[in-house]
Amino acid sequence: MPERPPKTMFTGMVDGLTMHGKAGPIWVRCLVWLGAHVPESEVAARRRARCRGLPGPVVAFLVSLTAGWSNLAAQTPTAPDLSGNYIRGDFVGLGEIGQLIDGELLTTEGQRRRDEYDYQTDDPVYGCVPASWTRVWWNPNVVVQVSQDADHVRLRYEFMDLDREIPLATEGGPRDALGIDGFPTLGRSVAWYDGDTLVIDTSDYERGYVATMADWAGLAQSRRMRTIERLTRGADGLTIEITHLDPVVFRRPFVVTFHYVATDYELLDYGCRPEEASIVTPD
Amino acid sequence: MKSAALVLGVLVVGSALAHHSLAVNFDQSREITVEGRLTDVAWRNPHSHLRVVTPDIGGTEWLVEFGAINTMRRLDFETDRFVAGELISITGWPGHRERTMYYLEATLEDGTRLICAGPSCSPER
Repeated sequence: MPERPPKTMFTGMVDGLTMHGKAGPIWVRCLVWLGAHVPESEVAARRRARCRGLPGPVVAFLVSLTAGWSNLAAQTPTAPDLSGNYIRGDFVGLGEIGQLIDGELLTTEGQRRRDEYDYQTDDPVYGCVPASWTRVWWNPNVVVQVSQDADHVRLRYEFMDLDREIPLATEGGPRDALGIDGFPTLGRSVAWYDGDTLVIDTSDYERGYVATMADWAGLAQSRRMRTIERLTRGADGLTIEITHLDPVVFRRPFVVTFHYVATDYELLDYGCRPEEASIVTPD
Repeated sequence: MKSAALVLGVLVVGSALAHHSLAVNFDQSREITVEGRLTDVAWRNPHSHLRVVTPDIGGTEWLVEFGAINTMRRLDFETDRFVAGELISITGWPGHRERTMYYLEATLEDGTRLICAGPSCSPER
């Protein structure tokens, strides 16, 4: 089994940051890249080489400023305003069910896990546990509240009263990803902005299920699952696109998309109690 | 209520909510009606439920699942109209578990119809 990357290393982060092209003028970018302790990549190497081509005194001056560069870099990109309350709209894009039936999507292990899924006992919701972030976004009729500051994005989900505080990676390097106590199947997340999109990178998942809904019930996740959530604000709400990468379960990336509409509904307490949620049969 | 007997009817309905978790637990291609006495009313998240005991010998209890209380509140559904001890007739989707169903509409003892199907819940459809 391949060695798992450290929790704070996110190989997509460098590309994610360099793609949006809003990091500021050349001296700011060089300041960042000269001082950054980020995973090396082709893009990163090219940037570093360009910066090192600057005149020596300029480089020395820039390096001397790196003590406070991270705050500067964090403030430079313009973050899209995603704040507000949202509720799921009609659109749920799940791909084609034929992908499952034809065995196109799932590995042998993914198919085995799905075949073993028993809706009468295995749905984590019976214990007030949301199976996955995809399951959380999938849930209808509940409010999600988004707020942002310079260092974090906070997503408060009415469903199961989830309070998800996600640290923003800066161009100085990734920060420790955060999970939610008591919910190991939701992994640990870190986020950054890619132009007008908030990107949430989550890994360190416990084994569980991506979906417990409809024909997708029993779609599994392994400890090697990694998800990329991309939140983009449109005219009337948010689009959430989630890419699932799990070589144990999926033969290729599995993408689902949800649309949420802006709402005046307030966030309500959910107050799920396992002894009540588990009542599924008459006495 | 004219008849207190258990009535099972079969109707074909559309595929509304086909992507909802309801599809895993309930047969949305049919509807059944259960008549009896309401014995328990529990408004909760993620699902509320009612219990109805039919008047056959020994009484048969049905568990009627309902939407989340938060959803009911937002829709101003009249949850306080359901009173334990009163007679009720409930129509809904039969569950894959025995003696379970999902609420679509009910007729209360005073004749009021309370409908909650798909995105709308109201006293009358």
